[in-house]
Amino acid sequence: MIDVARIDHWAASGSGPFHRSSPIAKVFFLLLVVSAAVIAKSPYALLAGYGALLVVAALSGLPWPRVMALSWYAAVFALLYSLSIRGGFWIRMLFIVKAITPSFAMLMLIVSTPYPKIFSLLSSVLPEIIAAGLFMTYRTLFILLDMMDNFAAAIRLRGGFSPGSLYKNSANISQGIAMLVVRAVERASRIYAVMVVRGYSGSMAEKASVRLHPEDWLPLSTGVAVLLLVLLWK
Amino acid sequence: MTHMHIPDGVLPVHLWLLGFVLMALVLGLCLLRLRNADLKKKIPLLGAVSAVMLVAMSLEILPLAYHINLSVVAGILLGPALGFIAAFITNLILALMGHGGITVIGLNTLLLGSEAVLGHTLFYLLSRRMPVFWRTALATMVTLCIATVALIGIVSVSHIDPELFSHESQAPGQGLSHEGTLSVSRFATMVLTLGFFGWLIESAISGAVVAFIARVKPDLLGHALHRDKFEGDNRGAVR
Repeated sequence: MIDVARIDHWAASGSGPFHRSSPIAKVFFLLLVVSAAVIAKSPYALLAGYGALLVVAALSGLPWPRVMALSWYAAVFALLYSLSIRGGFWIRMLFIVKAITPSFAMLMLIVSTPYPKIFSLLSSVLPEIIAAGLFMTYRTLFILLDMMDNFAAAIRLRGGFSPGSLYKNSANISQGIAMLVVRAVERASRIYAVMVVRGYSGSMAEKASVRLHPEDWLPLSTGVAVLLLVLLWK
Repeated sequence: MTHMHIPDGVLPVHLWLLGFVLMALVLGLCLLRLRNADLKKKIPLLGAVSAVMLVAMSLEILPLAYHINLSVVAGILLGPALGFIAAFITNLILALMGHGGITVIGLNTLLLGSEAVLGHTLFYLLSRRMPVFWRTALATMVTLCIATVALIGIVSVSHIDPELFSHESQAPGQGLSHEGTLSVSRFATMVLTLGFFGWLIESAISGAVVAFIARVKPDLLGHALHRDKFEGDNRGAVR
């Protein structure tokens, strides 16, 4: 399960140089790392880039062990895909590094930027319904994760899980998901009504700054360094 | 399986760029269709359904490495336009969490969004005498089968070029000059074999979810976008 609540806590509580830089600079940083992953032909170059990101994350006070563990989540699917490729260890390694490096950069962005700043930036480029939908999805996700925990505990306490009975388990899980949908809609409607009462009209109160400032040197230089590493690797 | 977990830099640039262009066009059409809709009612529903999709997609069914998408459920609950937008939101947030590449957001949204649109269409085309569970399950099964074929099509047209790795093929001992070519038949076999069991699970879960909602909160299925079409259903087909 994606640990969204913890990510939110890290984003709001840190005060390192990555936290202090502007969201737009971190978006540029992400784009530079994604570009490096797109053009990389050597897993070693990208692995060196991944190492550089680890060092920067550790020096910036980001929770790098957890970020590293989360970034490896992307490797599972990359490995599955790479198994269908007629290639050896080299190509599989390249695919895995191509998956985990942008994932690590993305996680560095989200664990160092509070969500209102990210959604504020997004709402300045996306249509209202999509930006509002993204925001509502993110908020509802927290509620759903809590509900999922409660649901799992409740179903165990009431004997809903029967080892070996696929039919019974599937039926209970399906009804749980259906209940989740119904409750999620009710809660989301309430949250949205409260937001509208408080003055929400499709955009975030905090406007994202699209100007760079001196504290943005770290994400920008890290992104450029990773891209140069991949470009110049022999 | 109809959500590609392909990392960035694997698919050719023209393919993922085309994916982004087509996705933007379809999103534009969806927004055009929704221009007169009451967004105050739609946004909470959109957020809730997208969040449920996200939760569902983050749960792996082992050992199939399959996750349910609930995209057909999203199409039935939200309608085709909002269903497609939900697919975009879900893919964007998944990419933000490192689940699938950023460059494949366009293609993934097209795949997942087409499931929502197709699932919605099939659900309303199937006989209303059929119980909601079976209507949903059948719509889901057919939709996932078509979407998986589309996924295989995308991967086969990607023509992953061995030259992409030619730099390393010259490295001693690597011998990759003929490696790195995607075996479409191998990929198709893997996806269709594992996928089939996944479709069965997803069809059963989707059927049960929509049948439960039809019993407990039928107004969720009769929202303004397709209320007229569903009114008959609530009278006759809900079991």
